[in-house]
Amino acid sequence: MKINDFEEKALWLRRELWKMVMRQRKGHIPSYYSCVEIIVALYYAGVARVVKGLPDDPNRDRIIVSKGHAAAVQYPVLADLEFFDRGELERYTQPGGLLGMYADFRIPGIEGISGSLGHGVGMGSGFALAAKKNNKNYRTFVVLGDGECYEGSVWEGAMFAAHHKLDNLVVIVDRNELSILGKTEELLSLGNLEAKWRSFGWETRSVNGHSFEELLDAFSLLGRTRGKPLSIIANTVKGKGISFMEGRAEWHNKMPDDEQMATALEELGLKPLVEA
Amino acid sequence: MDTNSISANKPKLMRDTVIDTICDAAEIDKDIIFITADLGAASLDRFRRDLPDQFIHAGISEQNMVDLASGLALSGKKVFLYAMAPFITARCYEQIKSVLASMNLPVTLLAVGVGLGYDHATLTHFTTEDVACMRSLNGIEVLSPSDEESATAITTEAIKNPAFRYIRLERQKQERLYHGHFSTVLGQGFVHLVKGSDLAIIACGYMVHKALGAQKILEERGVSAGVIDLFRIKPINAKGLAETLSQYAYLVTVEEQILEGGFSSAVLEALADQNVMMPVKRLGIRDGFNVLNGDRDQLHELYGIDMPKIVDAALSLKEA
Repeated sequence: MKINDFEEKALWLRRELWKMVMRQRKGHIPSYYSCVEIIVALYYAGVARVVKGLPDDPNRDRIIVSKGHAAAVQYPVLADLEFFDRGELERYTQPGGLLGMYADFRIPGIEGISGSLGHGVGMGSGFALAAKKNNKNYRTFVVLGDGECYEGSVWEGAMFAAHHKLDNLVVIVDRNELSILGKTEELLSLGNLEAKWRSFGWETRSVNGHSFEELLDAFSLLGRTRGKPLSIIANTVKGKGISFMEGRAEWHNKMPDDEQMATALEELGLKPLVEA
Repeated sequence: MDTNSISANKPKLMRDTVIDTICDAAEIDKDIIFITADLGAASLDRFRRDLPDQFIHAGISEQNMVDLASGLALSGKKVFLYAMAPFITARCYEQIKSVLASMNLPVTLLAVGVGLGYDHATLTHFTTEDVACMRSLNGIEVLSPSDEESATAITTEAIKNPAFRYIRLERQKQERLYHGHFSTVLGQGFVHLVKGSDLAIIACGYMVHKALGAQKILEERGVSAGVIDLFRIKPINAKGLAETLSQYAYLVTVEEQILEGGFSSAVLEALADQNVMMPVKRLGIRDGFNVLNGDRDQLHELYGIDMPKIVDAALSLKEA
């Protein structure tokens, strides 16, 4: 696959997510859309090792979307990997369905629970440390929200992973600069996140989180960090791909009206959705 | 298991007997991982020296310690977490709830110094609400050994059958209550230590020893009190407890916990569910208590949960 194909896959993922969410009008589209390229890079660009139809493959790379309100970004991908029936996407959030709004470890392909923020680095360190102790060469990828970096436990985990030289651990910070109430730098500055991670002893790289070229270049550092865990600050736009949502905090949890729906469908190149 | 540690004359600290038991097992089972949040023990030196690959110092980072444990447990490790009681409960309650309980992971939480065990360290180190907060977690087992042998047996079970468990360890040495038979009663969840005919006193951990002291005083005064060591607070053996307590007319509960939601709450919930109604006096820490200086027994006196108060409670029930 080439960059164009990845971009095609990213559009496919945005469309699938839109359909999944709008059927039930439940979900966090802007939080998914800021990390779509990160997810596509991991699953489709050869960064993470996952095998179709084998969610429990002992050698699989572990992928944790620690910003749990956006873990559903994985659902269409996991269905595409035949980890569960595609029909589950239509039963999203419904009684008897497999898929809820937040990550549930019982979903094939979801490694651990998330939703409450700040657990992914510690949990991921546990996976990475177990790999070292068991002489396994799988890697662990943790997608963090930038707002999640307000949680102190993130930094406890960062210190631990660096001390234990977990160079099989990668954190990707989805730096969309928004939390629920507004812009992080206006509300409570996170400052230079790359410098913060570096100061904790991590190898770091700051990239455009919507550029496959830059993301793949950063991921290529994996295995070449000389004993350091890797933190990639992916600078992103919350709501990327939907003009009226991009960079706007109020869309975190909001659903579009009819007019906005029409605009979004046009931008995504989707036909009008049939109301259930 | 190191049987010498039990048969030796002097009691060991609970933490040492527990860590020695885990260390013995860890020498054979390489999936056992022991993590401390900067709390030590004499026995821990051996673990660190002999099994460095299975020992982790998490730093004074209880939150990360629990999150880390989740990743290890999901990778097939049997994880034991070790810290001071207040810090392995309230300090990282969010992690225990959101991560361990949500996924029902086989992680054992070893808390040292429950209740008023860290007496002189006062309020930040008191653990007067751990029973309430820990037993309300989904799927957890809550155990509170009262001596070295019960601590060893409970630990051995935690090694043999890894599960989501909270084990409350006393900070100070405890007089021996059991002499080789505890493992046979482990499954029952409580021990009817002294059989009486008038009333029963029920407690766990250190307070069992206080209940036994009160029982002797009552005996001198012609009152026949039974004593129950309820070492498994959750899942509580409600049926067995109801059957045992049906032999008595009155009940006294004793705890170093805030009364709201604590030990006695667990007992009374169980009895209510079994349709057992009996007059009860609950001794515990009253809401609004002040932080006071003193050692553990002095604090018992100041908070009104010492032996004379247990005796008074028993007598008042009988004379009512």
